[in-house]
Amino acid sequence: MVIVLGLATWALWPRGASPSGTDAHTHTDSQPRKYTIRVAPGIYLPGTRPQDLGSPLKGLADVTRAFEKLYPDTRIEFTAAPVGQREYLITQLAAGQAPDIINVNVGDVWQDVQKGWYLPLDKYLEEPNPFIPKGQPGSKQWWDQFKYQAISRSKTAPDGKVYCVTYDMVETGIFYNKSIFAKLGLHVPRDWSEFLQIQLKLKEAGITPFLADSGSIADWGVDLIFNQLYGSIIPGIKIKRDPSREAHLSRFFDWDELAYLNTKGFFTRRDPRFIETFRLLKGWRQFFEKDMSTSNLTKEFVTQRGAMYWTGSWEVNRLTRDPDVGFDWGLFYLPPIPQSFDRFADGHDQCVIGGSGTQFEVTNSAFVDTGNPETSEKLKRAIAFIQFLTVPKNVDHVVNEISCFLPNVVGADPKPELKPFDTILQREFANTKWLFTFDLRFDEIMRRMLDLYINGGISEDEFMSWMETNVKTACDTIVRRKRIDLSKFDAKWKELAPLRVGMKELPSER
Amino acid sequence: MSVRRSNFASTTAIYAMLSPTFLLLAVFSLVPFVWAFVTSFFDYEVGGEFRFVGMDNYTEYLHDPTLLPSFGNLLFLTLFGLLVVSTVPLAIAKLIFCLKSERARYLYRVLFLIPIVVPGVAGMMIWQGMIYNDTGLLNETLRLFGREDLTRGWLSDPRTVLWAVVFMGFPFAGGINILIYYAGLAGISESIHEAAELDGARGLIKFLKVDVPLVLSQVKLLTILTVIGTVQGFEGMFILTKGGPGFKTMVPGLWMYMNAFSFQRMGYACAIGVILFLLILGLTVLNMKYFRSTEDLKAEGV
Repeated sequence: MVIVLGLATWALWPRGASPSGTDAHTHTDSQPRKYTIRVAPGIYLPGTRPQDLGSPLKGLADVTRAFEKLYPDTRIEFTAAPVGQREYLITQLAAGQAPDIINVNVGDVWQDVQKGWYLPLDKYLEEPNPFIPKGQPGSKQWWDQFKYQAISRSKTAPDGKVYCVTYDMVETGIFYNKSIFAKLGLHVPRDWSEFLQIQLKLKEAGITPFLADSGSIADWGVDLIFNQLYGSIIPGIKIKRDPSREAHLSRFFDWDELAYLNTKGFFTRRDPRFIETFRLLKGWRQFFEKDMSTSNLTKEFVTQRGAMYWTGSWEVNRLTRDPDVGFDWGLFYLPPIPQSFDRFADGHDQCVIGGSGTQFEVTNSAFVDTGNPETSEKLKRAIAFIQFLTVPKNVDHVVNEISCFLPNVVGADPKPELKPFDTILQREFANTKWLFTFDLRFDEIMRRMLDLYINGGISEDEFMSWMETNVKTACDTIVRRKRIDLSKFDAKWKELAPLRVGMKELPSER
Repeated sequence: MSVRRSNFASTTAIYAMLSPTFLLLAVFSLVPFVWAFVTSFFDYEVGGEFRFVGMDNYTEYLHDPTLLPSFGNLLFLTLFGLLVVSTVPLAIAKLIFCLKSERARYLYRVLFLIPIVVPGVAGMMIWQGMIYNDTGLLNETLRLFGREDLTRGWLSDPRTVLWAVVFMGFPFAGGINILIYYAGLAGISESIHEAAELDGARGLIKFLKVDVPLVLSQVKLLTILTVIGTVQGFEGMFILTKGGPGFKTMVPGLWMYMNAFSFQRMGYACAIGVILFLLILGLTVLNMKYFRSTEDLKAEGV
């Protein structure tokens, strides 16, 4: 009885919130203040240790203290609310109880922009950032502060408005074990043929050549291979030209273009490039780890059971701090596919597929004080907080506290170990973001069926049948929901006809 | 007059006492059901507008590419569940019942009941992490015997995933089902056993010819519960495989959940929910009508 009572007392005894728990809240003091801004800052949550490495983070807390001195009536409260979980986020947003500032992938935000859950930020981005001294980028327009302009502006939602501030950048790369490469006499591959030969040698040496999870293959893998195989025919099929878009996004297909091309037989079983995109991925699969869904890839790489690891810039943080990493590692990007390897490829450089690691959206909770964004004092402070965060020295203090992402603000340089990603980010952007272009149902089906296909669960014919239906359904849905008139592209399609002459194996129109 | 007044007061008091329960039942069970039925005729997202679409959600589901695989999986899971629930717990209950010592019978009943204190989710996580993981019991055992070639991601390999899921909980020996069968066996009159033995029935023959027919009420109950639980349940698949790889372990309940909360297609999800409700209702009615319990058999003089 005593033991039971003791245990009950222990269980019920009030404790301080743990900053690493999902309900963790941290703020700078307990002084009562008129406005409280709740922020879900993602990886920069004060008091946490990303990847369980290093000291608890304090950068954002430092910056917040400085902000609260400027705004004595405002308290910034951080939360580890699982805003990345869609089920949680939707219910909180619908109830008007979501954190005021959140970090959510724009793809998720776009699904809901018509519901008034998120605040368009164009107005603020087009105005000066009040925390920037005159003459510096951002003093005329907040927009000017952002280093990777094209990627930041590409976050424009389907309704033409911008709902996020792109705070930092993330990019992928292939981390490789230099020690293993040296031991086997291997070098960084220059093209896809060499890339596969290297993997064959590694496999013969009993080492898992390539570590990648199914999600990355469905996301990055598809977009990159697609770019390689469609690159040479883009001049003949790119039906939208938007001069306001910089060169970085000039070859990117929007959803209405994809929907139009689909009516012309593209992305169906009549489109050999589409089939080839997935066929190449399946051919590559033989060099991956056995279990693509549940294997701990970082562990496989760190313990040197795998020689190459396709992951994001965040892994630099682990590899530079983990005491178990007892080997030299390097970084390279996916090599181009030469025409000698595949008849559709032309050997151009692989494109970039990254984007923002952290993006701040403002939710409807931020103007709950008046219910009107125009009159809300709380909202002014929420916007001011994000503006304050983007001051170069503050970005540097927050983002560069760890080696995961690159600051997206002019005047805040990336950490030296992340500079290779800065070079990668200068490349041309991908032609598509298949998983993020259409609705989440399309995303779900594509991920699942590709996983099944490359792991031998279904035949190519079955997979293509699923994909054909999936693309068609997604295109029909987006045309219906967005009320898109595809006939507006007919004239441009005819105009481009001469460019398509001589392009081989284009899908037949029905 | 006073008797009538007294009856009226008594009846009113009973209704008054029942009303809070009924009110809660209505608010949390009946109204949502009616609401779901109505919503199934609309295109509706959380936070969005209602748009009447008639039977579109139902016709779309009939053409949904997950329909056949998910109902196929559901059939497999249900049949496997029925096979398990009608054999293993009954056999164990009979073995316990046959023990001579009352103390031993009590001890074994408790021991077999203890596993139910482990939450189902925790049990699944244990199987997922300790048995089916890349470095789990199965793969490590295979490696120990030099059969690396046979190792696999048991929950990610399309050839093994469904079997891996149904074999969770093997040897299916714990839980309340044993007690239900035990109670049924305990209710069989000793004289029936004596009569059967006089007729020469022993061991397995006696078990099959005497015990099994007399616990059919329990079999019927567990059959209904298993069917309802399997059709409604998706949390296991959600935790373990999310219905994958591909749709190899997708079940209609999980697809309903995903449409509702991941894709925000509430109307469509409600249509799936209504179909599942009708399916459960139909199966239960069939079970009640055609599956004869011990009482039915007695009434028919069998």
